[in-house]
This record gives sequence, structure tokens and C-alpha cells, in this order.
Amino acid sequence: MAKNKPAISLENLTPIQLMEFDACTRCGECVKYCPTYNARDKDQAIEPRDKILRWRDFVTRSYGWRAKLFGPASIPEEEIKKFTDDLYNCTTCGMCGTVCCAGIDTIELWESTRANLVKHGTGPYGKQSLFPKLIGDGHNPYLKQQKDRLVWMTPDIKIAEKSDLAYFIGCTAGYNQQVLCVSTARILNKLDVPFMVLGEDEWCCASALIRTGQQHLGDVPKQAALHNIEALKARGAKRVVFACAGCFRAAKIDWPRAYGKALPFETIHMSQLLAEQLDAGKIKWEKSFDKTITYHDPCHLGRHVGVFEEPRKVLKSMPGVKLIEMERNRHEQRCCGAGGGVKAGIPDLALNVAKDRVNDARATGAEALISACPFCRRNLIDGRDELKLEMRVDDLVVLSAHLMGLSTDIKSPAPGAPKETISDLFRTQTIPPKPPAEPKKEAPKEEKK
Amino acid sequence: MTEGLEIFGKTVFDVLFIDYRIMVVVAIISIILFLAGIYMQLDKWGRGVPEGATKPAGAWGTLKLMFQKTFEKGIGPALGIIVLDVFLQRRIWRRRKTEWLMHMLIFWGWVGLFILTVAAAGAEFYGPFVKGTDFQFFADFWKTLELPNNIFSYMLVGGIAIAIVRRIFLADVPPARFTSVDWIALAGLSIVIITGFWAQGLRMNLGIEERMLVSAYETVAPGFFNNPVVLFHEVFTLLFCVAYLPFSKLFHMFVTPLVIMINKGGYVEVNP
Repeated sequence: MAKNKPAISLENLTPIQLMEFDACTRCGECVKYCPTYNARDKDQAIEPRDKILRWRDFVTRSYGWRAKLFGPASIPEEEIKKFTDDLYNCTTCGMCGTVCCAGIDTIELWESTRANLVKHGTGPYGKQSLFPKLIGDGHNPYLKQQKDRLVWMTPDIKIAEKSDLAYFIGCTAGYNQQVLCVSTARILNKLDVPFMVLGEDEWCCASALIRTGQQHLGDVPKQAALHNIEALKARGAKRVVFACAGCFRAAKIDWPRAYGKALPFETIHMSQLLAEQLDAGKIKWEKSFDKTITYHDPCHLGRHVGVFEEPRKVLKSMPGVKLIEMERNRHEQRCCGAGGGVKAGIPDLALNVAKDRVNDARATGAEALISACPFCRRNLIDGRDELKLEMRVDDLVVLSAHLMGLSTDIKSPAPGAPKETISDLFRTQTIPPKPPAEPKKEAPKEEKK
Repeated sequence: MTEGLEIFGKTVFDVLFIDYRIMVVVAIISIILFLAGIYMQLDKWGRGVPEGATKPAGAWGTLKLMFQKTFEKGIGPALGIIVLDVFLQRRIWRRRKTEWLMHMLIFWGWVGLFILTVAAAGAEFYGPFVKGTDFQFFADFWKTLELPNNIFSYMLVGGIAIAIVRRIFLADVPPARFTSVDWIALAGLSIVIITGFWAQGLRMNLGIEERMLVSAYETVAPGFFNNPVVLFHEVFTLLFCVAYLPFSKLFHMFVTPLVIMINKGGYVEVNP
């Protein structure tokens, strides 16, 4: 009797990851902290533990001792599809791994399993499947032009042709959250720290592809990483600063993997650079901000790479600022809901998680919620708007620029530009409404032949 | 009258009320099945491709990888992880003190009883085969084991009691999906624990000297030698906890410490 073929492959999974599936003790600690499980009305299929146990079951049915002796058991394709969808209902925030009693590295586990399922044909989820083409062809996920990489530039900002320090802008800030670019650039100018940018030579960091398990499609993330590394190296960058936590994480963890060795430059997040400048006594706060604020640790800056204290150090040094911690902070922070491709693929889930996080902030009584990542900023603004709260949501660099006496205004905002383009904290600008679209002329219906 | 059992020309006295001829055979079978199961699992894990490699690691490659990963920062740090994260379960201690107590009681209760059982069995062979002593050696040795045996048993009972109370009254998350394999694991463990206490009770009710007589087929307690409960417990425990372990739902008991060692204590420590 011919044996069945295994219903799943083990591609993209390492031996250690296959061990990790067997290591889950089912204690349920991850369930308590999972932001998407909570936002999905505690649906058991969404909890990390259940996903591990289901995949373990698939592996056992396909490659376990019974499968070895009697042939692999069949697994209905709908079951694999359901598992895939549940797996993508995850922001890969890493909270489950942080609290895992078995020490399982869940972030890597989810990403590898996603890659496996993309190869299987059931992943990714919804609009996430557009990423390879968008990032591969256009070098950004927003259908923007490379020539517009520096569209945010204002006449007052000085960018050096060559410098030891490079500012890697990122697609989200550069195209959709210009306030972050102008704030970062003005801060560096004010601190007399010369910096260069790649401009049209900057490609997407490709984080979105890796987070959604599509790294192998056309090898786009590897090409993007190598392109950015070589471009930065060619310009003589010794240090690269990132104001986007997503890009920073990609450069810190994913780029060296693509490069096959340590990067030829140091990578640093803007919050770290600010803390460094603060220590050197170079930052002079010129204004006061007499409000209570709370700080949201972006997953990609905190749990993924371990930057927790520098943003707090900067915030605590600001005149007038009273920093109150949310109950869940630092390693135990609750994700904003935007990561892991969820914002693009499952926006309702992203919004529900964001509401939970904004409610965490609300519970502190803070008047402003500060983060250090454009993705978090955007999603938390959405959550705040959905909850109809007065709380302001903004980025650490925007607040820093303002208190250093700098303008956070961007060039005249384009009509209909995304709300996150301008500062939410200071609201010195408004976005003109988008002109009504011209009604589409109906094409004459073809007669049926 | 015989004085114990003749094995390879030596008289082996019985302390644990079991026929060592049966136990040796069952133990060998169990260890063979355990090793076969471990090999099958290694073979399964070995289908994965290590980072930077182009082909699957294979069973032996996986074993090598496990050692490499565990000791890649040196023996000192690896020993630190083994002591703090495996033996003392630091990850659980950091988050949940009650659960830590429960885990420690169950883990060390099991480990302690296992070590004492191995020690007692070892002594029974060590005496005649190495030392050439009579039954008094076993009597003395067994007496020294009674107190730690009781302590480990109470630890186990205490841990299980906390687990039951937690599950029924204090659970803060719903339990994982329960499948037929879980029932097998639960039933098996219950059998091991219940028969274990029953067997130990039988042993405790009889003084050590009386046991020697029993072992020597005296008529004090006819049929007590190879008591079915005791024999069943020992055989079942070996088969369930050793032979069946790599194939069972309880395999995580073996894999979890390995993963903790390989991941150097867990995610937070891997990415400081």
C-alpha cells in the first residue's frame, strides 16, 4: 500500500524550532498576555499556545512515529487554511516569547511558520500578498515614487553630501508621516550633528515581507538589505540612525542575516542618539511641556532589540513632563496592534488592539501618549480616534524637537494627506480636505453577444 | 529456604518487593524503546534546516547542533543556565511564585523519588556483585532512604494538590484543548501516582527485617514477594515514564529543559 505524502512540509523551520513546538508545556502564560487573543474576544484559535499545539499536531501527524511506521495521516486543506489565518492574526510582538516558561523564541517561530505556509500556498493574509510586488518593484509598500523620497524636505533643513552619520528615513515616515522626518532632521541640525541620507537610493527595509513570511519570494528582503547596506557603505556611513523602530529592527537583526556578517556600520535608534546627546550635555530644552505623559514601548524597539531606557531617559529630562508608566510597560508592554502585517492585512484587528493599548494609556490619566515608531503612532492615533478620546498621540522626536525650540511643521500638507502626516501633539497645521473626485464616466455597456 | 534470588550465581536480596529478573528485562526494553523514540524525534527535528545551511541537519546533526547551541558561550554560562533555569526554574519564579512552588515540588518530588529508586535498585546489585555483603547491607541502606523517600513523596503530593486547586479554583486562563492523547497522559500519570503510593504504603507497613524474610520466601507473608501492586507499579512506571515518554504528550518534560538550555534561558536573555 502506497503511503500518503505528508500534508505539510517542514521547510523554513530549523531543527531547534521543531524542538520548540515539542517544548510547549501548555501552561497558558502566553494566553494571558496575547494582545490579539484579547482583541479577538478570547478566541482560543488565536492564542499562541493553541497555535503551537496545532502545528505540533500537524507535524506529528505528518512526521511522527506513527507516520513513520504507517504513513502520514491526512490533514484536510481547510484545517491548514484555518491554521494559517489564525497564525496571521498575530502582530509578532513577541510577548508570548517573553513570558514563555519554556523559553521558546516565538517571534522567529511565527515568522518561520508563516514562511512555510506561504510556500504551502495558504499564506499570507489578504493585502499582505501585495508586499512582494510593491516592495520588489517600487521599493516601498505605498505605491510611491523613489524620486519623492525627500519630498518632506524643507528649505531650513541641511543635509550633508557626505557624513559619518546617515539618517535612514524609512517609507512610512518619509512618505506618510513627514512630521517625523522634519523633526529628526531639525534636531540633528540643531545639535550640529551632520548627517546624510540616501534619498532616491534608499529602498524599503523590507521588514513587512519578513514579518509576513514572504522573505523568500524573489529574495526581495535580501536584495533590499544588500542594496541599502552597500549604498550606505559606499557613502562612507559609520553610523546609521533610524527614527522608525520597524526599520531599526530590520537593520539590527534581519540585515546582518542577509549580509552574512556584521554590518559595516553601527545602527542606532534616534531615542538612543538623543539620550547620548543628553549625556554629553548637548541638548538644551528651550520650552516646557507641563503635561502628564505615558510612553508606549514599540515592540520592534523594545522586546525585539532591547531599547527600553533611553526613550524614558529623554522624556524624564524634559522640563514639565510628568512620565507615568502604564501597567504593562517595557518587556511586558502590550503591542499597539500594527505589526506583523496586521495593519495592512487585518485592519479591524489592528484597531481593536490599538483601542486596548490606548485604554491602557487612558487608565494612567496621561494627557499624551508618546511612542518612538511611526507604525505605533499611526495605529494608536486610529485607536484614540475610534475611542473618541482627547488624548494626544505623538512620537518622541516630535516632542523633543518642539521642546528644543524647533518647528515641527511640515511643508504645506497636501489636500487629503493622511492625518498622521502632521503633529498630533501640537496641531499647528491642518490638512486641507481632499477635493471631491470627479464622477467616473460610465462606460457604455457592451451588449451581450 | 532461599535467601533472595539467584542472578548470575549471586544472591540478590529484595528491598523493594520486586523480582529483579522481571525488572531488568523491563528496564532494558524500556531503555531501548526510549532510545528508539528519542532517535525518531531527533530524526523528525533533523528534517529542519539550520540557519545558514542548505540541507536538513539529520538526527545526528541535530544532536550536534543542540550541544553547539547549549555551549556556544562556554561551559560556565551553560552550567549557570542549567542550574538557574532548569533546576531552579528561574523563568517561572520571575513571573508566578505559586506556580513556581508547584513546579518545583512536582519536578523535584519526581526526580527525588526516581533517584532514590535507582539508588535502592543499585544497592541491591552493588551488595552481592561488588561488595559481597549479606542482607544487613540492604536493611541499613533502605533505612537511610526512608526519610528522603517520604519527603519527596510529600513534595509530590503537595505539588499535585496545588496544581489541582489552581486548575479548579484559580485558573486565570482557559485550559488548552483536551484531546484523547491528553487523557492517556492524565490516566497514565494517575496510575503511576496512585499505585506508587499504594506500593510505598505496603513497604512501609512491613519492617525491613520482615521484608528480608519475605524476600527469602518465608511464610510470614506468603505471596508478598512480587506483590502484584508493587510489581505493577514498577513495571508500569518504567514503561509509561521511560519507554512511552518520547511518544507521549509528556515529551515536553524532556524537551523543555533542552530548549531552555539551547535558548540560553529564553527570549529575554537571548535578546538583551
